[in-house]
Amino acid sequence: MLIAIARRILLSLLTLLMLATFIFVATEIMPGDALDVSLSADELSMIPPERLAQMKRDLGLDRPPHERFGAFIAGIVQLDFGRTLISKTPVWTIVGYPMRNSLILAGAVLVLAFPLALAIGVTAAVWRGRTVDNVVSTGAVIGYSIPEFVIGTLLVMAFAVAWPIFPATITALTRDPAATLLAASPLAVATVLIGSIAYLARLVRTGMVDALASDFVERLRLTGIPEWRIVFVHALPAAIIPSLTAAALYAAALVSGIVVVELVFAYPGLGQELVRGVTRREVHVVQAIALCSATIVVALNLLADLAILALDPRTRRA
Amino acid sequence: MSDITRRRLLQGSAGAALLTALDTELLGDAAAQEQPKRGGALVYAQLSANRRAGGPSNHKHPYFTVDANTKPIWSTPSWVNPDLGWELEVATKIEQADDKLNVWDMTLREGVMFHDMTEMTAADAVASFDYHRQNAPFARQIVKVEAAGRHSVRFTLDAGNSEFPYVLAEYNSPIMKAGPLETIGLDGIGTGPFRIVSSDPNRSMILERFEHYWRRGFPYLDRIEIHNREGQQESALNGLRAGQFDAVLNIDGRAATQFENNPNFAIEGAKGGYSFVIQLPKHPGSPFLDKRVRQAFAFAIDREAIVRVAYSGRFGWVGNDSHLMITDPSFVPRPGGRDVARARRLLAEAGHPNGINLGTLYWSPQLPEAGRYFQVLQQSVRDAGITLALEERPNDGYIQFRTGDNDLTRGNFHKFAMTAVGSRNPGISMFRMRGAFVESGHWRGPEHDRYLALYQRAMVTADAAARRTIYAEMQSILHEEVPAVLPAGGDTLLVRRRHMRDMPYHPQIWSIRFEQIWRA
Amino acid sequence: MIRFLRRLARRPLTILGLLLVGGHLLVAAIAPWITPHDPLRLLDAPLEPPTAIFWLGTDELGRDFFSRLLLGGQISIVAAASAGLIAAIGGGILGLATAYHRGLFDDVVSRLVEMKLSIPSILLVSLFVTGFGQSLGVLIVVMSLIYMMGVIRTSRAMGISLMEQGYVKAAKLRGESATTIVLREMLPNIADLLTVEFALRTSSALLLVSALSFLGLGVSPPTPDWGLMIQSGLQSIRSEPWLILAPALCISTLVIGINFATEGVADLLGLEAARGATGH
Repeated sequence: MLIAIARRILLSLLTLLMLATFIFVATEIMPGDALDVSLSADELSMIPPERLAQMKRDLGLDRPPHERFGAFIAGIVQLDFGRTLISKTPVWTIVGYPMRNSLILAGAVLVLAFPLALAIGVTAAVWRGRTVDNVVSTGAVIGYSIPEFVIGTLLVMAFAVAWPIFPATITALTRDPAATLLAASPLAVATVLIGSIAYLARLVRTGMVDALASDFVERLRLTGIPEWRIVFVHALPAAIIPSLTAAALYAAALVSGIVVVELVFAYPGLGQELVRGVTRREVHVVQAIALCSATIVVALNLLADLAILALDPRTRRA
Repeated sequence: MSDITRRRLLQGSAGAALLTALDTELLGDAAAQEQPKRGGALVYAQLSANRRAGGPSNHKHPYFTVDANTKPIWSTPSWVNPDLGWELEVATKIEQADDKLNVWDMTLREGVMFHDMTEMTAADAVASFDYHRQNAPFARQIVKVEAAGRHSVRFTLDAGNSEFPYVLAEYNSPIMKAGPLETIGLDGIGTGPFRIVSSDPNRSMILERFEHYWRRGFPYLDRIEIHNREGQQESALNGLRAGQFDAVLNIDGRAATQFENNPNFAIEGAKGGYSFVIQLPKHPGSPFLDKRVRQAFAFAIDREAIVRVAYSGRFGWVGNDSHLMITDPSFVPRPGGRDVARARRLLAEAGHPNGINLGTLYWSPQLPEAGRYFQVLQQSVRDAGITLALEERPNDGYIQFRTGDNDLTRGNFHKFAMTAVGSRNPGISMFRMRGAFVESGHWRGPEHDRYLALYQRAMVTADAAARRTIYAEMQSILHEEVPAVLPAGGDTLLVRRRHMRDMPYHPQIWSIRFEQIWRA
Repeated sequence: MIRFLRRLARRPLTILGLLLVGGHLLVAAIAPWITPHDPLRLLDAPLEPPTAIFWLGTDELGRDFFSRLLLGGQISIVAAASAGLIAAIGGGILGLATAYHRGLFDDVVSRLVEMKLSIPSILLVSLFVTGFGQSLGVLIVVMSLIYMMGVIRTSRAMGISLMEQGYVKAAKLRGESATTIVLREMLPNIADLLTVEFALRTSSALLLVSALSFLGLGVSPPTPDWGLMIQSGLQSIRSEPWLILAPALCISTLVIGINFATEGVADLLGLEAARGATGH
C-alpha cells in the first residue's frame, strides 16, 4: 500500500519535472528577446547600450539556456517564479490573487457540480432507458457540445439584457473576498457549471449503469436487499471509482473553460493574466501560470489515484 | 440627437445644420440651471484605457494608472480647454523668458496641497519634469528644469517652442511629489481633486474626494470608480443598462445611436476627438520605401466608407494624413479624394502592375470601432489591387509591440501598425511626424528635412496666423510624401445616466474636469 | 450491414446526429457555389434587417450575413478535422507501438501523455500561437498534438489486449518486424476505435477553434467564421440578436450532431470509446 502510494507520488513529481522542462523549452523558443518586445522603441532609443547590456545581465538573459534552466528549476523548487522582466515585480504578486480567484471560481463550480451531477447521473442510471434517462443523456451531450462562450453570451442575453436580474459584467476587484467575488459572478459560475454538470453527470450515469448491471449487484438482488440500498450502498461507490479518474482529467478542461469564461465576464482571474502575460512576453508570468495550473491538475489526478487506492482493494497491488 | 453638446456642433463641419434644433433642446434642458449637489459616486467604464497600464509596483504612477486620464488625481501646470486653447491650471504664470522662445518661466500657485498634506513647491515641479523629460515623448524637448524660487521654475528647451504651454497640459505632465528618479510617482500622491484609495492594475481604480483640493468648493463627488473595459464595449454597455455603471467613456457612434433616444441616458460628444495613424515602416526591403506605393495606398482607401461604417456617418470625419483633427483651424483637407485608378497607376509605375501585398497590418481595440475601421480599410484597398492581412493585438503591451526596435541595424523594426492619435495643438501634432518618431515610420529624406525646418520656424513664430501658413505648407508636404496614413477620425463620445450632471466630453479624452461633475 | 442499418433505424438521435453532420458538411462543401452574395463585399449598409434579398440582413460592416453564415464553418471544420485525423492516426500508431514495446519507451510516452493532459489546451495553444504567430498551420499542429495524447491512451489500452491475440503472436513467431506488426496486423483491428476517436477529437477541436476565434487567436478577419461572427455580433446583442444566435446555432448543432452520431455509432459497433471520452 505504502509502496503504491510512494510510486504514484513519484510519478506525479516526474510528470511535473517534465512539465517544467516542456514549459521552459516552449517559452524559450518564442522568437524575440523578451526585453526587446517589452520596451518601446522610444524608451529603447534612450537607453545607452551599456545600460541595456546591464539590464540583460540583471535579468539573466545573457546566460546560456542550460544555466537558465538550472536556475529556473531551482527557483520552482523554492516556489520562486522570479520577477517580471520590465517592472521587476515578483511574479507571485501578479499571479497570486488571480490564481486564488480562479480557484474560487473552479471550487464553486465543483462544489455545485458534483452533488448535482451525482443526483442527475444516478437518477438517469436507475431509470435507464426511460424518458428521464433519455432527457438526461441527450441534455448532457447538448450541454457539453455548446462552447462556453456561447453559453455565457446566451445567459447574458437572457438574464442581464432581456431580463436584467444579474450583473452582465464583473466589477469586483482582484483582492475582494471570495464571497464578494462569487456574489458578483452568478452568470459566470452558471456558464461553467452547465458544461461541467453535463460532463460529470454522464460519467456518473455510465458508471452506475455498469455497476447496476454487474454480477455482484445481480447476486445482491437475489438476496433480497432493497433496491435503494443496492443503489446507494453498493453500486454508487463502485460507480464513483472509475468516474473519479475521468473527473480528475476533466480538471484540465475545466481550467480551459474557466479561462474563456473569465474573459467573457471580465472575472479577475488567471485568464486575464494569461493573455496579458503571453502578449507582453512576460515569460516568467506565463511559466508560472502554466506550471501552477498544471500542478493543480496533476495534484487532482494524484488525489483521484489515491482515492481509488483507498476505495478499491484490487488496485493496491499494482 | 438629444444632449449632444453645443461645442460638438459649433466646431463640427457637418453639425451646423442641426444647430437650431439643438439650441431649443438645450434651452429646454432644466439640468443646466440646477444647483450642483454634493456627495455620491460616479462609477464609469473606460473603453480607451491607458495602454501602458502597469503592474503591482507601478499601477499608482501617473503613467501607468488604469485610465490615461490622470487629471482627477494629479494637477498639471496648464489645462487645455474644450476649444483647444490653453489655460493656467496649477501655475499662475507660464511665460517665455526671451524672444527665442526656448526659455520659459513658470510660477506655481501657492498653498496647493498634496494628498499627504504637504505643500507643493518648485522642488516637486522640478523633480517631476526631470522625470517627464526623460520619459515622456513630448517633454523630451526640455533640456533643463530648475527652481528659481520657492514657487518659480525655469524650463530650458532644446529649441524654441511657441506652443510650449501645451506641453505642460499633457496627461504625462502631472506634478508629482518630489522623489528620486527611480521612485517618483509610484506613491500615487498628487494635488488633484481625488486621491487614490485602491487600485487594481489594468482593471479598476477607486478614488475618493480630497478635502483640501486647491480649487475651493470642489469636487462635488465623494467617490469615483473606474473600470477598464477596453475592447469590451458590449459588456460595458450591458453593465450600464443593468445599473452597474453610471457612464461609459469612449463609446462608438453605433452605441451613441442606440442610446440617444433613450430617456434614461444622455450622449455627450466633442467633435474631432481622435483619429488613427497607420505607421508605414520604411526599413530596407519594405514596400513603403517607395513613395508611389505610399501614395497609392493613400488614394486607395475609401475614407468615406470608414466614416460611414465605423462612425455611423455623423460621428466621424475624413482625415488628411497629418495628425491634425478636422476641428483644427490649421487643418487642410487632402487634395484628390479617393482615386482608385490613380492608385493602380502609381502601383504600376512602382513595378506592381498586378497589385501588391503589403503584409500584415496590426491593430488593437484602442477604441471600440477599431475593428470595423480596419476591416473597411482592408476591403476598400482591394479595389486598387492592394491586399493586406489584419491581425488584432491586445491593448496591453501594444505600444511596445508596434514600436518594436528603433535600431534599424539590428533587423528588428517597428510594425505596419495603427495607433490612436489624440486631439492636440498643431505644434505637438505636427511634431509627431518627425522622422525620429516611430509614428512617421522613420521618414527620411530632403522633404522630411524641409518639413522639420518648417516646424522649427513655426515654433519660433509667435504670430498664430503666420504659423498657420507654415502648417499648411507642412501638410502639403505630407500629402505628397505620405510618410504615414491617417484616413479618418471620430468624435469623442460618452454615454451617461441622466443623474450624472455637468459631465460634458472633451476633444482631449484626458482633459475632462472630473471635479465639476455632480450627481443628482 | 442490413442488421446495422436496422439497429440504426431504432436510434432517432443517432440519425439526427448523422443528418446534422451530413447537412453541415454538405453546406460547407458547396457553400462557395450557393452563397447569394460575395461574403466580403461591403454593401454600404451596415446592420440592415433581414429582407428578401439579404435573408439575414447585413452585418456590422454591411456584408451579407447569410452568405457569411454559409461559409462560416469551412475553416473551423477543415482545421478541426485535420487535427482530428492526424491525432487519430498518429495517436493510434504511437499507442500501439507503446503497447508493443512496453518498457522504457512506454513509460516515457505515458509520462508525456499525462503531462500534456494536465496542461489546459487553451493555455498550450495560446502559448504556441504567440510564439509562432497566428496561423492555421500552427493551430492544426498544436491541436493534433493535444488530441493525440488522448488517443494514445485509448489505443494503448486496446493494443495491450491485442498483444494477447493469436495472430499477433503468430506474426511475432514468423519473425515480422515490429513496424509491420503494428501497422499491418494491429492497426486495422483498431480502425473502428480510431474512427470514433477521430470524430470525438474533431468535435473537441471544433469547440477549441471557435473559442480561439472568439478570443481573437484563431481564424482572422475578414474570413467568415462562426466564432468570430459571435464575437463581432456581441456589439448588437440587443438590437440585432440574430447576429449572435445564428452562428451560435450553427456551431452548436454541428458539435451536437457529431457527438450524437459518434455516440450512437460507437454503441452500435460495441465500442467503449464514446463513454466519457468526449468533452473538451
